[in-house]
Amino acid sequence: MSTVINGLTKKFNHVEALHIDEITIETGEFVAILGPSGCGKTTLMRILAGFETPTSGTVYMESQCVSDANTVVPPEKRNMSLVFQSFALWPHKTVKEHAEFPLLHDRFMKKLDKDARIARVDEILEIVGLESMGHRYPNQLSGGQRQRVALARALVAKPKLMLMDEPLSSLDAELRVEMRKEIQQIHRLTKTTILYVTHDQSEALAMADRIVVMKDGKVEQIGTPKQIYAKPETEFVATFVGKANLVHGQWEEGQFIPKYADHSVRWSDEEVAERFKDKGIFPVRPEQLELVKEGTGILGVVTSVQYQGKEIHYTVDVQGETFFVHGNLFTVFGIGDEVIIQKNK
Amino acid sequence: MLSQTKRGQNKLPSSHFMNRILKYIGIVLLVIFFVIPIFRLFMLSFQTDQGFQLTHYVEMLQREETWNVLQNTLYVVGGATILSIIIGVGMAWLVAYSDIRMKNGMQILIIMPFIIPSYIVTLSWTQFFAPNAWFSSLLQSIAIETWDLYSLSGMVFVMGLSHYPLVYLLTVRMFRKVPRDLEMASRISGAGRLKTFFTVTAPIALPGIASGGLLAFLASLDNFGIPAFLGIPANINVLSTYIYEQVVGFGPSAFAKAATLSVLLGMLALIGTFIQWLLVRKSKSLETVNEDFQARFSLGKYRGVIEVCVWSLLVFTSVVPLLSMISTSFIKAYGLDFTWDNLTLDHYRFVLMESGKTQQAITNSIMLGFGTMLICLICGTAIAYFRVRKPTKWLKAIEVIIGLPYALPGIVLALAMIFAWMEPIPGWNPGIYGSMKILFIAYVTRFLILQIRGSITAIMQVDPSMEEAAHVSGASNMVKWKSILLPLIMPGVLSGSFLVLLQALTELTVSSLLWSAGSETIGLVIFNFEQAGYTTYSTAFSSLIVLLIAVGILLLYGIKNVGKVRRGKS
Repeated sequence: MSTVINGLTKKFNHVEALHIDEITIETGEFVAILGPSGCGKTTLMRILAGFETPTSGTVYMESQCVSDANTVVPPEKRNMSLVFQSFALWPHKTVKEHAEFPLLHDRFMKKLDKDARIARVDEILEIVGLESMGHRYPNQLSGGQRQRVALARALVAKPKLMLMDEPLSSLDAELRVEMRKEIQQIHRLTKTTILYVTHDQSEALAMADRIVVMKDGKVEQIGTPKQIYAKPETEFVATFVGKANLVHGQWEEGQFIPKYADHSVRWSDEEVAERFKDKGIFPVRPEQLELVKEGTGILGVVTSVQYQGKEIHYTVDVQGETFFVHGNLFTVFGIGDEVIIQKNK
Repeated sequence: MLSQTKRGQNKLPSSHFMNRILKYIGIVLLVIFFVIPIFRLFMLSFQTDQGFQLTHYVEMLQREETWNVLQNTLYVVGGATILSIIIGVGMAWLVAYSDIRMKNGMQILIIMPFIIPSYIVTLSWTQFFAPNAWFSSLLQSIAIETWDLYSLSGMVFVMGLSHYPLVYLLTVRMFRKVPRDLEMASRISGAGRLKTFFTVTAPIALPGIASGGLLAFLASLDNFGIPAFLGIPANINVLSTYIYEQVVGFGPSAFAKAATLSVLLGMLALIGTFIQWLLVRKSKSLETVNEDFQARFSLGKYRGVIEVCVWSLLVFTSVVPLLSMISTSFIKAYGLDFTWDNLTLDHYRFVLMESGKTQQAITNSIMLGFGTMLICLICGTAIAYFRVRKPTKWLKAIEVIIGLPYALPGIVLALAMIFAWMEPIPGWNPGIYGSMKILFIAYVTRFLILQIRGSITAIMQVDPSMEEAAHVSGASNMVKWKSILLPLIMPGVLSGSFLVLLQALTELTVSSLLWSAGSETIGLVIFNFEQAGYTTYSTAFSSLIVLLIAVGILLLYGIKNVGKVRRGKS
């Protein structure tokens, strides 16, 4: 189902929390909304779910207007489901009862008879790997298992759109990585359109077909994970997603001369966005830089060293500005060392 | 698509319209039932033939009798409050801090005098101290005079013992919430146990202790049963019984005087409630701290001795008087010794089968109790739901207004009800006063807040996402309430309803002014039996009520546990 958001705004007490010109989500797509807390991504999701009324603008689902300032189709009348950050499992219902609930009440699914219902519940519990847990209550499940129950409940009635609100943030680190794979697999299996809200850029990069980066209620950039990571269009996207250094300097004939560097240093253009060129900036990610003892480049002093196992993270002070550089394990620098920053070829 | 949009647009304004109408109806009902009665009472205290003046106040304050009553009130209420605080805080410290055993059992005995209506507790104590009872005989045998309970000190004693559970309940939670690491920090910084208690523990727990003390003060001020059972026979009046006697003895001519005294009493209670509210607000900072159920203080080798003392005290104050009362109820004639030959079930037969009056009272109280519970259950839970999910200034104001009739002493509310419903519009008497209807109205206005509070606590424990999850799964409002909300909030909501039912079933204060022939209640019949000297009947009837309460509590406990078992062991 394609979902089209147009000119959507939401104000809380006269403060604009959301202002989106246009986002289109195509059928079967996995779209991640990425942004720091307070960027309006949760508000956007709650409007899409039908819990909030927009101040202006429209949301169309399958060319039906479901939200505008006057009319909000309530959540139960949308062909959509939602996975909550807190899972929102009902403590008095078993795993099976959770999975069965949408089958009993969903308005878009053909009503199933009892046998078909049981079959569908078994099928969905197998997909999420809970076939042996059907009779347990939520407090008898681990965090990861609860997550799977929430997924089963959201998937069982085959919604056209599944919203996911930071579904992995209440799990521990190891489980989070494991669940990513499962969510991807579920997306492949069910071909449901997924809108996934997160503040974790690695989640968005790993799973999504397209990413919408948001900040202060506005869209910064929409693109594939590769575009977002490698070709950021705004300072925020460059720093938030790629943790890039915004190196100041001069653009001359398609080449960049960094400030503080020897005049012979030229960085070649790598399809840097026009916006950066206008501002005299070259966004460069830490792994695109390296430190050397001698040579031409930007002279600085190492101020912190963090050993990471497969690489070393340095911060380097260059005349009051801080550069982040990832170095290899073969040439190690210490705090206070004078170093030259070079861009790898 | 077009028709969809159109339908939605038509629907939305109409639902807004409905909401607004509902809101106005609610406000009108609120004003009629909660605001006008209190306002009328207030105005009446100023009303004279020459318009609104302070005449009644001047007159009342010039009478020596008034000052006498005020002095008695101060003595009884003050003494009872101090007694409540001493016992309540002591018990709370033992349960929260020490490693005393069988804390659950202690808690049940501590709360007992609070659950059983105070007039039944009083009746029990009078039986316990009756000149021919075994305890008094024991005292007399060692040449000590029996204590006359029908006195100021008797009232202080019974009131203090009836209200210390209030102090206990607030303080024990507060003690448990004092963060253990704060105390450890104090000890590590070099302060000893005692110094730590006075510089860390006590200041943190103080709002809890103070607000518990104030609650005991308010409950004592409000109490009618104890001074009615102990004071009236001895001709000792406090404000609540004095107002009662004015209204009952002198009729409408004394209404203005009674109203004046009521305003004084009501003011006192409202000021107390306000201070209590401030204190509770102040202690909010500890709201998010979890209660700590681990013992922090070892009683060491004294534990056994202290346990014996505490249990003796609890059994002596909570169980023994009830047993004396129950034993009196089986005795053939009041004054006979408690021997097998003197026992009979006649009084129970009289109360249950022969006396039309008691049967009527049981029917009345059950109807009033369950009726009040049902109305409060529905209205109270609905109000609580909006109060939790969509808090607005309006709803907060409404909560305060609904709380007023409960904050006011019962006798004051009863008087206000008379003024408001005798002639709701001057010159028109719809016959509400003088029938069961006025009791019903009074009970609902008085106890609605209890249900609201119970339901608010229950609803707050259900995260909004539980409801949202139901909606996104396709559930309508009906389905959401039926299969998600009600099962989750029911245990908590029912404890609120049980409290309403319990209070309404055994109510005495309000009923004592609002009853009429045919609308007697259980409490009133017990009161009348006692006043007429039929102690065996009043004790038999009271024993039945205690049994009824015990059964009710067991049922409630059962319901709660069934809920827990269904959700699996955690």
